[in-house]
Amino acid sequence: MTEDNKLPATDRRDFLKTIMLGSAALGGAATGLMGKINVATGDIGVSQARAADARVKMAFVQFAPHTVSTAWSAGIAEVLATQQIVDYQALDGQGKLEVQVSLMDQLISDGTQVIFLQPVDSVGVAPSIAKAKRAGISVITLNIDATEPHAAHVEMNHYFGAMDIAKAMGDAMGGKGEVAILNAPPGIIIRDQRTNGFVDGLKMHHPDIKVVADQVADWDRKKAQDVLTTILAANPNLGGVYGVNDSMAMGAMDVAKEKGLKLVIFGNDGEKAALEAIEAGDMTGTQYTDVFQQGRLAAAVATVIATGMVPAGAFGAQGHLLMPYVIATKDTVGSIQPSQRW
Amino acid sequence: MADTPIIKAIGLTKVYGNLPALSDANLTVMPGEVRALIGSNGAGKSTLIKILTGAVSPTLGRVQLNGETAPLGDPSEMIRRGVACIYQHSNLAPAMSVLDNMFLGRQRAYRFGLLDRRRQRKEALALLEKHAIDLDLDATVANLPTVKQKEVEIMKALALDARAILMDEPTGWLAASEVAKLHATIRALKGRGVGIVYISHMLDEIFAVCDTMTIMRDGKVIAESAVADIDRPRVVALMVGEKLARESAQATHQKRQPRGTGEVRLSAKNLTKRGVFRDISFDLHAGEIFCITGLIGSKRTELIRTFFGSDRFDSGTLEVEGKSVAFRGPTQAIAHGIGFVPEDRHREGLMLDMSMTENLAMATLNRFHRAGLISLRKMVEAGKRSIANLSIQPPDGKRPVRLLSGGNQQKVLVGKWLNLGPRIIILDEPTVGVDVGAKAEIYAILRAERDRGAAVLVVSSDLEEVMTVADRIGVMAAGRLKAVHDADKTGMDEIVREIGGDA
Amino acid sequence: MNIRPATFALIVFFAAILAFFCIFAPRFATPSTFENLMAGFSFVAILAIGQSFPILTRGIDLSIGAIVAVVGMVTFDLSLIFHLPGYIILPIALLVGTLAGAINGLLIVYLRLQPFIATLATLATYRGLVYAISGRQLVPGLSTTPISDKWITGLENYYDVGGWLGLSKLIGMPWFPLSFFVMLGLFALFQIILLGTRFGRDVHTVGGNFEAARLAGINTGRIIIAAYAISGFCAGVAALLLVARLTTSTEALGFGMELTAIAAAVIGGVSLAGGVGSVFGPALGAFFLGVVLLGLTQMGISQYVQQIITGAILLAAVGYDRLLVLRRQRRVTANISQVAADG
Repeated sequence: MTEDNKLPATDRRDFLKTIMLGSAALGGAATGLMGKINVATGDIGVSQARAADARVKMAFVQFAPHTVSTAWSAGIAEVLATQQIVDYQALDGQGKLEVQVSLMDQLISDGTQVIFLQPVDSVGVAPSIAKAKRAGISVITLNIDATEPHAAHVEMNHYFGAMDIAKAMGDAMGGKGEVAILNAPPGIIIRDQRTNGFVDGLKMHHPDIKVVADQVADWDRKKAQDVLTTILAANPNLGGVYGVNDSMAMGAMDVAKEKGLKLVIFGNDGEKAALEAIEAGDMTGTQYTDVFQQGRLAAAVATVIATGMVPAGAFGAQGHLLMPYVIATKDTVGSIQPSQRW
Repeated sequence: MADTPIIKAIGLTKVYGNLPALSDANLTVMPGEVRALIGSNGAGKSTLIKILTGAVSPTLGRVQLNGETAPLGDPSEMIRRGVACIYQHSNLAPAMSVLDNMFLGRQRAYRFGLLDRRRQRKEALALLEKHAIDLDLDATVANLPTVKQKEVEIMKALALDARAILMDEPTGWLAASEVAKLHATIRALKGRGVGIVYISHMLDEIFAVCDTMTIMRDGKVIAESAVADIDRPRVVALMVGEKLARESAQATHQKRQPRGTGEVRLSAKNLTKRGVFRDISFDLHAGEIFCITGLIGSKRTELIRTFFGSDRFDSGTLEVEGKSVAFRGPTQAIAHGIGFVPEDRHREGLMLDMSMTENLAMATLNRFHRAGLISLRKMVEAGKRSIANLSIQPPDGKRPVRLLSGGNQQKVLVGKWLNLGPRIIILDEPTVGVDVGAKAEIYAILRAERDRGAAVLVVSSDLEEVMTVADRIGVMAAGRLKAVHDADKTGMDEIVREIGGDA
Repeated sequence: MNIRPATFALIVFFAAILAFFCIFAPRFATPSTFENLMAGFSFVAILAIGQSFPILTRGIDLSIGAIVAVVGMVTFDLSLIFHLPGYIILPIALLVGTLAGAINGLLIVYLRLQPFIATLATLATYRGLVYAISGRQLVPGLSTTPISDKWITGLENYYDVGGWLGLSKLIGMPWFPLSFFVMLGLFALFQIILLGTRFGRDVHTVGGNFEAARLAGINTGRIIIAAYAISGFCAGVAALLLVARLTTSTEALGFGMELTAIAAAVIGGVSLAGGVGSVFGPALGAFFLGVVLLGLTQMGISQYVQQIITGAILLAAVGYDRLLVLRRQRRVTANISQVAADG
């Protein structure tokens, strides 16, 4: 068993290294791309020759309609709307792998050119992505990567973001104490990236803080309340909670309020409700990413690919676009503009 | 081998809970014998039949088939040994074909369970030809008329090579001409050495087709005789018991009050429910007991359910105390002063695990309310009064109804409605499964209600009961009210004739 | 063999809806649409075929979605944790599915539970079991490792049948997924069992008139247990096809699939009143649902509207079934009145 455990762990390190390299190269390119789009929207997009004869289909296969997915879709739609000839639709994966795979199949046969995908499972969508690639369709994953390489992956910068969360959390706790992680279900790479980032971050900045619990709360606020209540029963001295998304962090916040506990609570993503909770002092902080911007970036990549002028191959084996982020705490949350809140 | 009985049941006893349904019953059927099994409702006939078909295991006793002791409680074993049964209610799979139904549960098959349809069809055709019965083997049973369905059931039994066939009220659904045809078939079967047990309330049929008879009462076999050695009055006396026969004889001398006080409480005019009953017209008066009798399936129950709002009628009018009504549910009927004692008291009438007091108070909870709360003290007092009035045994209000005997359960059920002081009380088969003593007490309760001025409507297929309590008698057959008689101006023979639909 | 009205109606509707989408949905009448239909709905058809057996006995099996997840997870564990070869895993996985189904039957027969309650209970139990045995939770690294055993992934394969038959030259032909042939095989097997064997007749009898079946000496308990075991077996087959398609299994695999399968069976004319139906209807019913969903998506109809439409179709099917049952009953009462009139 130990052998088995080690092997994937080293794989992951290597994997993360490529992300770092990729981000160094592509982060800049992405920002440049965005700037161009913002300045001269119509210039980048589909060439006039293609525009004359065909409309371009793009679709977003969501995990399920949720604050993050909805904000992405809004960002994507905003950019694609300017392209005049793009037909864009958002589809509901109903949180079911089978449904996503079936939707992918349909989009592939439907002549869709770019598929935005937020996978329910990183392995389960791999055969569908392979199939899409064979059909010459570009797949851009959002936040949750897939094990099959594809055109591009646009993420909130899970690993480094989580490291910074660990640092900020440790500072708030005075460098010692016990923390718990409310985690995503297994089978999703984001879970590993955020957990590893957090654990590595603690090791690097605050080696005296111990992770005493790491339990699955299904991304869900209600579930997080139940899970944390159980964790608290076993660890009454708990000083901090890291929710791998904001919903779970807010679940922890509910429990802390109800029991009158002073807990350092960090979330991840930075949705509107979480930012408000931070302003109110109920939650300590979160990793904020402008998700609208993330959607716009993905759409920009899609547009570039669809022109045919920049082939998907130009992104390397797989483009990893890491979004800039802010660790939002009571001190910094005010700098996030209302228009950037989702 | 003709001396070996096909069926020899010895000392069969069946106890349900603490109620013996059958005690120490013997039954013998020889090859080529048609034996009538008769008795009033609850006499234990159906329990005996269920044991012989293997549907029920007896508590005590054994059964020999063709001289061999048979294992009991296993339907397939009884069928294998040649006992078939034609039930009162259809036992066919309605969505399947005639052919499939004939071989229900024992399809002829090759190896691996694959059906040998050709062989089945050949056997079926041979049987149909042999018995000169005309049936389309591929027709779906649900699409056949009832008479044809009965034929399918008979064919199903014959396809078994049954040596003994039990027939439970086989003519219940049949018209007179069809009955004659069935009897011809029975005689043919008898000629080939098949033994038959024939269960029927119709004495005419029994005297027409049976050789011997076994008479049951209260779970016991009380007499056996050759049909030729006995006459009808004697049979009736044996069926209902000497005491009741005497009482009923006295009751006939009792003062009858047809039309009671003359005040019409409930009046039906041309009441019709499509496909169920039609053109029912009669008046129910205050101070009389009106009995509706007829065979099972004559739609008596369906009729009175519309009086209580459990079912709707399609056309015609129903008046209660002069006002035209169409109840949409029992609540409205209760509001009009109607009480209803259903036939199946376990399913429709009583909460078996609740106490007597609670059951008695169920319909009248409103009276024990005080500021929205129920006064237990008042409820217990009222319960005590009812228990005393109805002489329920044992007089313990806290006892769950499940632990009472059938007769006392029935008294609780009747008492529940009497507490309402209903102006009209309707009872469906009030004495089914009730012992003789309790029967007499229930009759007394009904007469007391009548004398109090209530209008009492009783549905009963027990003719003795009808002759005992009724002031007037209505006879239903096949969804129509065939006749209404003043009880003091008619006799059992006339009623029996009308019930059978022969008149 | 005479075709029942419900089956006939379904065939007509199926043809009509196909024609509708071919005309009105752009790109619907293409080989790849039919390939997707076969690849995406063959396992639904298999579940529906299995589901017909409990419904035929007048029961219902709500646990098949959970059985799919159990079998999927067993396959996952055996392949990735225990490294067993596929030819050993496949029979074990099918056995697990069959057993899970048989347990439903045992509960219904021996504890005399309502099928709805019994399978609702096992639905929860099996789902819990999936989490307990989930290799993805026990061994974290495995959750992002695909299953690569050739015996299992080989189940997701496509054949150019049209090319072999030379039809591709005349008309664009889809490639046929293996799952479609598995479905055809199961369909043929169970259709023969249902119509041609004593067991099949007994299943109809038990559902059509339980008391008659019992009194005819049919071992009703065994028939019911077998019906649920078949349902579990089919869920096992569907699970294997899904795992092959996804190269992994999740705890949520098959979630809500029982309802789709029940819908397909009912649309396929299997009466919820028991005793009426075959496995042809449910298989066709599954593809009918598939055509509707694919077609509406291609027409760009929102998924919420799609759910409303699917619900309406189900309601229509249930209503039609009810109508047939009522008509049957009315005919019986009419016959009785006829007798009365004769008398």
